[in-house]
Amino acid sequence: MATARTAARPAARTHRAPAAVRRTRERPQSVTWETRTFGVTALAIAAGFLLAVMYLGQITGVSAHDYEMQRLEARRTELQRQNALLDVQLAKLEAPARIEAQAARLGLLRLSHVPVMSAQELAARK
Amino acid sequence: MTVSHTRLRVLFACFAVASLLLAGKLTYWQTAMRAELLGPALGQVRSDEVVPARRGVIRDRNGAILATTVELRSLYAIPARIADKPAVAQQLGVLLGRDPAPILARLRSGLEWTFIHRRLPEATADAIAALRVPGLGFETEPARLYPNETIAAHLLGFVNDGGVGQYGIEAAYDDVLRGTPGRLVVERDSRDRALPVGLRQAIPSRNGSDLTLTIDLVVQTAAERELRLAMEREKATSGCIVVVDPKDGSLLALASAPSFDPAAVAVTDLEVLRDRCVAWTYEPGSTLKGITVAAALERGLVTPATTYNDVGFAIIGGRRLNNALGRAWGPTTVTQVLERSANAGAVFVGSKLGAERLHSSLGSFGFGQRTGVDLAGEQSGSLRPLAEWYPVDVGTASFGQGLTVTPLQLAGAYAAFANGGVLHRPYVVASRRDADGEHRTAPVAVRRVISSETAAAMRSMLLSTVDNGLAKNASLPAFSVAGKTGTAQIPDRSGSYESDEYISSFAGFAPADDPRFVAVVVLERPQSRLLGTLTATAAFKGLALDALRTARVQPDRAP
Repeated sequence: MATARTAARPAARTHRAPAAVRRTRERPQSVTWETRTFGVTALAIAAGFLLAVMYLGQITGVSAHDYEMQRLEARRTELQRQNALLDVQLAKLEAPARIEAQAARLGLLRLSHVPVMSAQELAARK
Repeated sequence: MTVSHTRLRVLFACFAVASLLLAGKLTYWQTAMRAELLGPALGQVRSDEVVPARRGVIRDRNGAILATTVELRSLYAIPARIADKPAVAQQLGVLLGRDPAPILARLRSGLEWTFIHRRLPEATADAIAALRVPGLGFETEPARLYPNETIAAHLLGFVNDGGVGQYGIEAAYDDVLRGTPGRLVVERDSRDRALPVGLRQAIPSRNGSDLTLTIDLVVQTAAERELRLAMEREKATSGCIVVVDPKDGSLLALASAPSFDPAAVAVTDLEVLRDRCVAWTYEPGSTLKGITVAAALERGLVTPATTYNDVGFAIIGGRRLNNALGRAWGPTTVTQVLERSANAGAVFVGSKLGAERLHSSLGSFGFGQRTGVDLAGEQSGSLRPLAEWYPVDVGTASFGQGLTVTPLQLAGAYAAFANGGVLHRPYVVASRRDADGEHRTAPVAVRRVISSETAAAMRSMLLSTVDNGLAKNASLPAFSVAGKTGTAQIPDRSGSYESDEYISSFAGFAPADDPRFVAVVVLERPQSRLLGTLTATAAFKGLALDALRTARVQPDRAP
């Protein structure tokens, strides 16, 4: 086959066709409408698929972030609850009645009189 | 292979008919039956929830929490998912400290879902959660907690299971504390999570306002301690202590006994819930002599040195009114009337005033009308109209009989002596904080009831009453104290007085020259009868020491 092609070439060179005919013959074979339609359709499908994948990815991402946000919100709520409980516990521990009871249990006595010194007295002692 | 055109046509026709049928059915379900399908479908995923508003926190003037709401875990069960019900009931009984039998009965009740125990302590909830029993779960529910337990129980009130405030601050400020619940419409998945791209309509809740009270927890605790000790010592049926800042009428403490635990109100007698500081009236007795004397001083009818001859009784309106124990004091000044608590002397001063002026003065000091304090259930006491007064009423009213007052009213009147003569409206909420910021309560001066000179004279006379008179037991080692004791008889249903039953009280303030607080102590039916005032003054003394120490007041006397 290679031999035939080789053999045909000199002939083509010998009998040159008119310029217009030569341009037509030298141009690569034109794309048929079926091919073009197929290509466009394939591209459209691919683009559509890509868009769908991107959309799904986005939705999945939003969902994942939303679920994560819900989890964090639940965590925050729980921490706030724990914090409120700790505040209550702190208030219980700081209650004057509890401190008085603890002091009494330790045998501490209430002062009947708290001596107060004036600033002048303090200065004089220094 | 040849294909029969007839067969193809038949096949096509079948497909066409089937397609038409399907399309018709689909159209039917999507149009005519749309609502019936949509409803159940949405019902499975859509939830319409009330978003509860957080009830406001109540704090004392220094920020200590008096009442707050926290979410506690409630234990529920889905009995069908619990395999070994007796064993689970046994375990829960141990952890909850309850009899397992009712728990087992509930697990076998056939209910799909049931609460086992509501609002558990955290440690108990953690212990149950650690069991990992399928079919047991937790749901959080709001619980109102009072960290100081019974302290200020009457003042604060409580919240019922429906979240509505009852008694005290919780009732008076319920609409402020409660807030406004919101609403959330959301679609949820099978794991009860909100669908990220689903429906979400939210009306946010508006939390209740936080309240800061004028109450000082240290003073309140001291008042409750002293009241408890006095009640125990005297085996009194009831008692109360009111402490007020005379400068603006703000309440520093309100203690009432018998008291209750806000966490166990269901088992409390209704009478115990009554706040005796504001919702209980009594005949004040001799503590009212101060008002009579102040009214006469203000009108220039007497001076502290005005003297009369005390013969042990006074006759007015044809009735003889005796001194306590019938004692005759001889020549007695008006100051000594207070020091000795002479009924005849009070009648002498009351007679100088006359019915109209005495009645007017009592009304001016706020007796017979509510003070307007921002607490639920305040009573007005009774001061009969002047037209209903008999001549003897001038005498009895002048030493505190024939009219009733609340301890809060009496504290307000003595606060007028302490602050230079102005009657303030008592109040207990200093400020409320909401989303818009802090709103402070402005003190309200109701009226001037006596001049500053009369008030100064009253302070001096009441100081002398503590230093030289019957109220000596109220004196403090390093502070001047002014005050007056009171022993009132208790009227019975026949219109007479009960024999040998009294209400003992003391109204006073310290330091006498620049009072930082006014306190009224009342004990109902003390076992020591006429000597109940000694216990009342001792309670005042114990309270005063803590109140002055907490306020870092400099002593005004040598110890």
